[in-house]
Amino acid sequence: MPSAVAWPENTFEVQEIVKTAYGNSIPVYAFGGGSGVLGGTVPEKGGIVVDLKRMRSIRLNEEDMVVEAEAGVNGYYLEKYLNSKGYTLGHIPQSIYVSTLGGWIATKATGQFSTKYGGIEDMVLGLEAVLPWGSAVTLPPHPRTSTGPDLRRLFIGSEGVLGIVTRAWLKTCILPEERVLLSYVSETFEEALESVRRILKRGAKPAVVRVYDEVETKRHFYMFEEAYGRIMTVIVVEGDSGIAGAERRIVEEEFRGRMLGEEPVKHWLETRFMVKEASEFAPLGVVFDTIEVSVGWSRAMSLYRSLVEAVRAVKGTLFASAHASHFYPQGVCFYFTFAGVPRGNPEKYYNDVWEAAMKTTFENGGSISHHHGVGRQRRSWLKNELGPAFNLLKKVKTALDDKGVMNPGNMGL
Amino acid sequence: MPGKWDWLKDELRASGLAGATPLVIRFISGRLRGADDLAKCALCPNMCRHACPVGIVDGRETTSPAGKTRAALLLRQGRLQPTLENVSPLYTCLSCNACSVWCPFGFSVADLVRPVKEKAAGGGSIFKEFREVFENLEKHGYVYGEPKREDSGLHGDLLYLRGCTLREKQPGVAEKAEHVLEELGYRPFTIDEACCGIPAYNLGNTRLFKRVAEKQAEKINSSGAGIIVASCPSCVYAYRVLYPKHGVKINAEVNHVAEFLEGRLKGFKGEGRVVIHNPCKLAFALGKPKALYNTLSSVEGLTVREPRRSGGETFCCGYGGSAVPRLNPQLARRIALERGVELTEEAETIVTACPTCKLAFESNGFKVLDVMELLHSFTSG
Repeated sequence: MPSAVAWPENTFEVQEIVKTAYGNSIPVYAFGGGSGVLGGTVPEKGGIVVDLKRMRSIRLNEEDMVVEAEAGVNGYYLEKYLNSKGYTLGHIPQSIYVSTLGGWIATKATGQFSTKYGGIEDMVLGLEAVLPWGSAVTLPPHPRTSTGPDLRRLFIGSEGVLGIVTRAWLKTCILPEERVLLSYVSETFEEALESVRRILKRGAKPAVVRVYDEVETKRHFYMFEEAYGRIMTVIVVEGDSGIAGAERRIVEEEFRGRMLGEEPVKHWLETRFMVKEASEFAPLGVVFDTIEVSVGWSRAMSLYRSLVEAVRAVKGTLFASAHASHFYPQGVCFYFTFAGVPRGNPEKYYNDVWEAAMKTTFENGGSISHHHGVGRQRRSWLKNELGPAFNLLKKVKTALDDKGVMNPGNMGL
Repeated sequence: MPGKWDWLKDELRASGLAGATPLVIRFISGRLRGADDLAKCALCPNMCRHACPVGIVDGRETTSPAGKTRAALLLRQGRLQPTLENVSPLYTCLSCNACSVWCPFGFSVADLVRPVKEKAAGGGSIFKEFREVFENLEKHGYVYGEPKREDSGLHGDLLYLRGCTLREKQPGVAEKAEHVLEELGYRPFTIDEACCGIPAYNLGNTRLFKRVAEKQAEKINSSGAGIIVASCPSCVYAYRVLYPKHGVKINAEVNHVAEFLEGRLKGFKGEGRVVIHNPCKLAFALGKPKALYNTLSSVEGLTVREPRRSGGETFCCGYGGSAVPRLNPQLARRIALERGVELTEEAETIVTACPTCKLAFESNGFKVLDVMELLHSFTSG
């Protein structure tokens, strides 16, 4: 538990809090919507939680197509604001109703429409951060800049261990003129992934591509009988009608599967924010969680199969399944879901599953986190992921935060 | 077509663990409802936070939608004592029901925490700020103390109900509303109406609500009215939804002005540009998110703008639910200011259809008209 919670209303107030904390060697934890799933904001060493949700001003520069917003602005609020002016950020994570801009930057988040719009790191043009000793630094927005190492990236994904991001400037896009909804049924997961790979190789960038394995197709699309027990792929192509039309043609030429039309995509669009599992299954004694990892195409199927198998092998597992949720010409993000009913200690079961999943990811050359970040849950594997670079990260942390006051313990730092 | 849970049944069979999960088996076969609604909401990661005016403007976890239900759950479980401090998050709710629109279960946080509030209030955890309301309702059946006596017309074809706030604070609106109804060919009449009781309901005193409701229903029913038109959407919600739930019957058909006027303003001419603030009770509790817009859009020559958060995504004025403006007037004001600024980006004049919303914006310096005031300005009267 923290000793105090502060609700600053501007950067100056954040600076004052951080200065006081630094001067007294008190831990500080930046907090946004609290939707992170890895415990990145848990004040495990006590101290001050800095809740940024009262910092939520927005300013749009239409000519430069850049929006400036404070870190505490709610994701949906920001997107809705942009939509009302004819723009979109294109960053639509499942947590958008809950999460904040600061949280997106801190965790290096990505959204459902990332194949077209990219992750948050592709959107941030500039940012302002309060450093561990209380000074504020501004990295102003530029279309591109070649002025030494990209210091913005120091803070994107830093999960509050190097400072507190208080403001950011982000690229915006014009609201899409056209949106095309496509879906396919395939006989195998591999076949569907291969189709998507061909589409991306040709340079098309559908905003959304999601390929569900057999279990998840049954779970999420049970009302589409033709797909039951097979592989469902939903695709959203959007943008300027000329570009969307060309991308649609590429998708239709390259996807080898049975077309199912718009309905499955509409179903996905309608249900994609319905998060009910914790409410329904936790009280029944079911341990339930998700794990997302990324991997290059060459080892994608191997990682998928071995990870599902590894999780199923943990005693007490009811099911393990996945969908491929984010795509790149180089590879894919698999989003695994598991549930179990452990006989003994539920925490042990939970950690055993994570251990099996992370180990399998390493064995298959994947990265242990695609967009949820590291937090406290994944910290014990970060060293393995980064190798000697973990020491570099530690040195950066120590150089910036000599007293270790910023989110101590997070990411294993 | 396969069933919703067939996939899980298949997985349970394959895992060989079906026998180890009797609760899951009972749940997916429909023999177990699962956790109760309050616990379900408390376990949710706040998927309606963006829609909650308190959640957005206050920005605190404790008063976020799931923060409130978590506090309520802990109180119900006895893990928190029902002190005023501990029950205060439950009252930091505008009862706007915006949460219910986004909830995968359709829950309203106000409804979920109400039994816990009632129990705490029954045990003596009552804020001093509420006592005056309760006393006034007990003694006079009216929120603002003893009402001025009025002659009841009891003549006409339509009973026009003003509600306490309009009657007490905005009497001019009532006169204009009657005039507009007359212009439309009706013969409205009023009665010496009492409070609908909803403030007591909002403040955790359901017993008092029921007593007030019974008296009010008697007054309304004895008027012999067949059609009721009311200016306050909270009153309409009480008459139409809460009264039947509590065994109180209103014989007449009850309408809110905005929905009553929908389709009845053909040929009505106006001018100017206004922005509408859709009252939360009308949009969410009464399920009429487009009624005010549709009504005003049918006025020839009037430009009607909607704010960013409109229709089914409207944002409460901050003064709803009876508790927040009494316990935390600063928060109520901050919400009203935020909403007022958003509205006036579209037009200088705000038009709403709720006396409380009008009060909220007016008292924070915005130019606001009730829908009936606006329509009256377009009539010969």
